[in-house]
Amino acid sequence: MAAIDHYLNSVIEQARLAAFDDGSATLEAHHLLLGIAVAGENAELIAAGLGHDQIRAALQGEFEHSLQTVGVSAAAYRLPKPTRVGDPPTTLGASAKLAFDRAFSWARRKKDLRPVHLLLGILQAEIGTVPRALALAGFDRAALIARFSGDAA
Amino acid sequence: MPPELSDPADALAAVAALRRLADQLEEAAVEQAMRDGWSWPEVAEALGITRQAVHKKHAKRLIEAGVSLRRR
Repeated sequence: MAAIDHYLNSVIEQARLAAFDDGSATLEAHHLLLGIAVAGENAELIAAGLGHDQIRAALQGEFEHSLQTVGVSAAAYRLPKPTRVGDPPTTLGASAKLAFDRAFSWARRKKDLRPVHLLLGILQAEIGTVPRALALAGFDRAALIARFSGDAA
Repeated sequence: MPPELSDPADALAAVAALRRLADQLEEAAVEQAMRDGWSWPEVAEALGITRQAVHKKHAKRLIEAGVSLRRR
């Protein structure tokens, strides 16, 4: 197995755990971003202020903000956390598929694919949870793309 | 009068967040009800869905979690 396959496997494994913890039936782009932060080549991410905890906080902020726009407070109720058993999800959701599509468009051939391409594939989404979370947390997504695309050429 | 939600991006994100919140709330509430001895038909009726649907969605998880379930 090529190094990129090992890399993608470990990112996806971590993303599956993030999705499972979320109660999500599918792996979405924001789970992949968390997966990269845990398992990936993430020194550059951390240097850009996007460590795992910062990403998680940004995602939680987006969730709460989106609920607040329709007058719902996520903190307004407290129920016991549901028990999570069984297998973490394996199905890629629409946002994760798009991230992979964009990642592959950076590489001319599959064997040219590198870790930074997946990160760029996630960051390039203009719409959805990841760009909203980054914007609300004060990250300049265009600057992040510019920063990482220098490594992608 | 509450403000109008004029930005479709906010409105669509709210839909996604509400779905996620509803799923989380359903998981927690169904587990809590079954631990309190509710039956599948009672939970289904409270959620406004069929007994088969609620069973299919939650039974495996609750059995694996060790919740003792009423058969009817």
